[in-house]
Amino acid sequence: MKTKILALAAGLMAATALASVPAQADVKIGLLGGVSGPIAAMAPAMVDAAQLAVQQVNEQGGIGDGEKLVGVLGDSACNPQNGTDAATKAVNIEGVSGIVGPHCSGAVLAAAGSVTIPAGIVMITPSGTSPEITGLDDKGTVFRTVPSDDYQGRALARTLKEQGYGKVAVAYLNNDYGTGLANAFKAEYADALGGEITQFAAHEEGKASYRSNLAELAKGGADTLVIFDYGDGTGLTILRQALENGFFEKFVGGDGMKSDAVINELGAENLVSFVASSPVGEKSESLDMFNEAFKGVGGDPDAIFATTSYDAAFLMALALEKAGGKKEGVAAAMLEVSNGTGEAIRPGEWKKAKELIAAGTAIDYKGAAGDHNFDANGDVPGTYALWEVGSSGYEVIMEMK
Amino acid sequence: MELLGLVNYALFTAIFIAIYALLALGLNIQWGFAGLFNAGIAGFFAVGAYTSAVLSTPADDGRLGGFDLHFVIGWIGAMLAAALVAWPIGKICLRFRSDYLAIASIGVAEIIRLVIKSEEVLTNGARGINGIPRPAGDIGYTESQIAYLVIVLAVLIVAYVLVERQFNAPWGRMMRAIRDNEHAAKAMGKDVEFRRLEAFIFGAALMGLGGALFAHFNRSITPEAIDPMVATFLVWIMLILGGSGNNRGAILGAAVVWIIWSVSEIATDRLPHEYAIQAKYIRLFLIGLMLQLVLRFRPEGLLPEPLRGDLRGSRRTTKSGADHT
Repeated sequence: MKTKILALAAGLMAATALASVPAQADVKIGLLGGVSGPIAAMAPAMVDAAQLAVQQVNEQGGIGDGEKLVGVLGDSACNPQNGTDAATKAVNIEGVSGIVGPHCSGAVLAAAGSVTIPAGIVMITPSGTSPEITGLDDKGTVFRTVPSDDYQGRALARTLKEQGYGKVAVAYLNNDYGTGLANAFKAEYADALGGEITQFAAHEEGKASYRSNLAELAKGGADTLVIFDYGDGTGLTILRQALENGFFEKFVGGDGMKSDAVINELGAENLVSFVASSPVGEKSESLDMFNEAFKGVGGDPDAIFATTSYDAAFLMALALEKAGGKKEGVAAAMLEVSNGTGEAIRPGEWKKAKELIAAGTAIDYKGAAGDHNFDANGDVPGTYALWEVGSSGYEVIMEMK
Repeated sequence: MELLGLVNYALFTAIFIAIYALLALGLNIQWGFAGLFNAGIAGFFAVGAYTSAVLSTPADDGRLGGFDLHFVIGWIGAMLAAALVAWPIGKICLRFRSDYLAIASIGVAEIIRLVIKSEEVLTNGARGINGIPRPAGDIGYTESQIAYLVIVLAVLIVAYVLVERQFNAPWGRMMRAIRDNEHAAKAMGKDVEFRRLEAFIFGAALMGLGGALFAHFNRSITPEAIDPMVATFLVWIMLILGGSGNNRGAILGAAVVWIIWSVSEIATDRLPHEYAIQAKYIRLFLIGLMLQLVLRFRPEGLLPEPLRGDLRGSRRTTKSGADHT
């Protein structure tokens, strides 16, 4: 009995091991996403957007001498254990030339630390927003197409100060998004600019009532509440209860709060004192091109991080083309394909890009999520604006510096 | 190149198996020896990982430490911290039996996770701790994996030998007596509550060590790693499948489950492209199915606990052998 079971287990393992027969001629990139786990609802749209870029590359001539670009999907499950496992498989079993993903900051940090940095593979994440990624000792191999939470928090602080906001209270969701934004905001507003933050408190998501949190936040006498949360989730509840009970007069949100759910649920007439920061690039030509293409394959362009996922995959393809398909040169090439100088390339313009690269002309990718232009840390600065609620949805008040 | 890739993957898998084997050994002390249903492995794993991270990273303004100590001190510290955390928890919760203890320990693990996520002065909050030194981490990719595997295996072997000794020692027999019949053990004058606490603390220390090895391997630890699915339930499946009460079974279970968990993704990737996303869910299904099959057809696990019956059997052979001479 014992040997039979052991033999069965061994047989299963052998069968699964044999099932992997790698194909040669294709150029592979790893698409690591949190397919299972806490962001399982968001991941499919992000993966589809990245696959759209792969599809466009193949339709317009492929990589190099017409080689096919293949996106190999791996499940990073939004945790370091599966993130490193998926990255190891992508790098060693599939032999990918670059990795798009993983989706969560913790998985990015672990996969970079134990797999891609030692192996010298370039990684570009569409949704890892943790400021810790900036400081990674990565030999220039870790990039991202989404701005660090640090940028937005600091820009928002400067803008509020400029607009003459006084005492503020800060409520933030207790995850890496909320914490990252709130800390950057605090560092700039209170420490650098000398503004006053009366209360600074984290909250857990998904509670029915935040009245006790709000009562606590209102204690310092601030008239403005800054909320770093999601407008279609807990942030909406907080905003509603703060309005109902009159705890604060003015409200400020981060990009997560700039959600249509807020207007639909609360009504524009109640939101005259509400402003939110969010990336511009909202209405660019590039975005329209992406939206059209993504709708064409049945995707929802408004899905969160769809644009950054697409840009990450497209940038990876451009860098691979520029580096001549060799993974050693991808890191340097990545900095060259989006640095603000050269012929503009927009989403889907693979053929044009390919010709320009072949001719040795400098190119500059202007993506669906923004112009990107990587800095030395592989971060994108992001351009933000402050928005208010007008009669027909959100309207820009001013750009943020 | 192709072969090197396979070697790298095998090394990585072996390191993960060794780390999980440590967790499974820790759980074996608690469940296999003492019958304590601890469903809060992730909590002790996290305490160990963060303790070692704080002790061995360079100083940082935003949080406690770092103290920039040698990684060995970090690992010892991880075991001590996990044991220290386990002590009051055990003192309070071990009065519960079976299911109730499981519920309490899930709660405890969740409390630990939220404290780690929220207390920025202690752990840098949701951002986690990065730049944890990895022993022999600066040499090439393959070489550093080999070096780390050697270290992890050495730790695992030491842990295995020590736990195995305890299992065969009078202490191990006493623990099993308490597990199987608490009242009889009490009647024999054994201090049941103290012994239970002992097993709970020893097991927690090993889990803490596993957490520390994990953090140093990845050079980072974030609250996302304290996911009950991969840090608690996967370990349970390993022990149940390998055979609770058997240390070799715990290690074998870790190997089999992790290999199926990891390699099955390579297999499901061969499905047609349009099923790529759905294929990922099949893995979760496979693990559940495996647990069901094992519980139905082989509840004692692949390598069952060596019971007294086996010992008597072996003694009888030697005796009859002696008769012949």
